[in-house]
Amino acid sequence: MKLSRTACAALLAGAAIVLTGAATAPTTFDDDETALIVSHGPWPVKTDADPSNRVSGKPAAIAYGKTLFESNDLSVDRQRSCATCHQADLAFADGIMRGIGLTRVDRNTPALFNMRLNRWFGRDGKSDSLWAQSIAPILDARELGMTPTTLKTRLATTQTLSDGYRQIFGAAPAAHEAETVMVNVAKSLAAFQETIVSGKSSFDMFRDGLAAEDPAGIAGYPEAARRGLKLFVGKGRCDLCHFGANFTNGEFHDIGLPHFPEPGRVDKGRYGGIQQLRKSRFNLLGPFNDDKLRATAGFTRHVRLTPKNWGEFRVPSLRNAARTAPYMHDGSKATLEDVVDHYSEIPEDRPHQDGEKLLRPLNLTDAEKADLVAFLKTL
Amino acid sequence: MRRLLPGPVLCAALLTAGPALADHCPWDTLVALPGQLNDGGTAVAYKTNPARIEVGKPFSIEVVACIDDEKHMAPSRIRVDAGMPMHGHGMNYQPSERKIGPGHSSFDGMVFHMPGHWQIMFDVYEGDKRQRLNQKISVKR
Ligand code: HEC
Ligand code: HEC
Ligand SMILES: [Cu+2]
Repeated sequence: MKLSRTACAALLAGAAIVLTGAATAPTTFDDDETALIVSHGPWPVKTDADPSNRVSGKPAAIAYGKTLFESNDLSVDRQRSCATCHQADLAFADGIMRGIGLTRVDRNTPALFNMRLNRWFGRDGKSDSLWAQSIAPILDARELGMTPTTLKTRLATTQTLSDGYRQIFGAAPAAHEAETVMVNVAKSLAAFQETIVSGKSSFDMFRDGLAAEDPAGIAGYPEAARRGLKLFVGKGRCDLCHFGANFTNGEFHDIGLPHFPEPGRVDKGRYGGIQQLRKSRFNLLGPFNDDKLRATAGFTRHVRLTPKNWGEFRVPSLRNAARTAPYMHDGSKATLEDVVDHYSEIPEDRPHQDGEKLLRPLNLTDAEKADLVAFLKTL
Repeated sequence: MRRLLPGPVLCAALLTAGPALADHCPWDTLVALPGQLNDGGTAVAYKTNPARIEVGKPFSIEVVACIDDEKHMAPSRIRVDAGMPMHGHGMNYQPSERKIGPGHSSFDGMVFHMPGHWQIMFDVYEGDKRQRLNQKISVKR
């Protein structure tokens, strides 16, 4: 049978429509994918005051904590503060590879959003509360370089800091033990940091629209981000670790990055974190927990130290990822493109792979990589 | 030459080393629990609290074990652990035991920190002899 010329043209045109149609058809999600996507919300997550910190959520402590956070009086040389490394206009990070205080530290400064959702603090989880984590930089000789005694003297001799302290803790710093002053300072710092929460992202709008089956709600979400999202919950298997509303399981994994801050010196990661946690007087099992029931101390009580903890680091939240470069515990990935390259080409014969059999090279195409990055930028 | 042990030491040694009187396991409690495993006459039953294990959230597990499902003998010890065989890792937390009675304990502090296929291992001891019963559990995001 011979096709007429017009029939032939019509067929070709039809094929062309189908072809271009396929290229631009909006990405859709089946029921399983939809459920996975919806499980990354709703946002924000409601949180309560921290029972281990009696000034958590108290307006006076929040205001005082902000003053402390920005005060150079918390450093031995009066030249730097928490805000030197955690800068409000840089997502409470510093934008450089590794933080610089009195000298350079081994790790990249993390952003400080949504801290109330953390179970562990520090990239190695050496602290089990936000206030305990806030003590560390004050005492670290590379960061603010104080001691409990110098801190107490600073507070006692700085009128504004001394007044604020008395107002919240009922006595002048001079009347308290140096260690008590330090813990109270840390608890005020924590009260302030708990108020740093991030708002709804364009992903959240899309997620809410999907949950509500509202076509208008999902309309504005870019096509590339949709394809990237499909990869994230699909063949990328990213949400095995980066799951839930905060895009993290709050735990520790080894994703095959080197862990040598300099040749010959190793960053023990989670292994060192658990060791430090256990010997700290400031953990939730210790005398400074304000919750006599120790209701939130279960993770500390049960945490297990095993060789696989070597070189593990905490799974970071991916919220605000576009604003928190550089990435990873050592700041070794400059861009999100670099991060995605890492997951795509992750070496299978890396030395520490006994732990995680689940990471294997994804071998993504350039287009897929760009989609994944486009998605990450909507968080 | 033989040396005589002092009386109290001898007593203590006899008490700890002598064959322990075998206890009965609480069979009625065992059959009432929702999770049931049996391997060659060794029976284990368990109940998690909360009933549905949520990824990343701590839970506890109540366990009853009988080393002989006819004579209803309690094991000398029960241990519980879990892992993800396909990922090659265990739990990040070490469960702690609260003894309720012979062959009956509750373990606190369990956390499944990733979605996917988990396996709970129940180790039932009769002296040094260990028998392991496994339960597969799948956890969603
Ligand atoms: C020298 C730069 C620097 C200074 C100064 C500094 N930090 Fe940090 N901060 C870091 C780095 C680097 C980390 C990661 C530390 C780690 O993993 O051990 C960090 C981690 C944290 C964390 C944990 C965040 C998380 O996601 O777990 C908190 C909270 C924090 N800092 C609060 C503070 C407070 C409060 C101060 C002032 C008392 C302060 N920081 C001063 C660099 C700094
Ligand atoms: C096995 C668990 C695991 C899986 C699966 C995983 N990640 Fe990660 N991710 C981590 C850990 C752990 C880190 C932090 C490593 C470090 O600090 O050294 C991280 C870091 C990141 C960061 C850097 C964030 C920051 O602020 O530094 C991004 C972005 C990221 N992952 C995206 C992804 C994407 C995209 C996928 C899927 C292709 C993925 N992850 C899969 C565990 C995982
Ligand atoms: Cu796993």
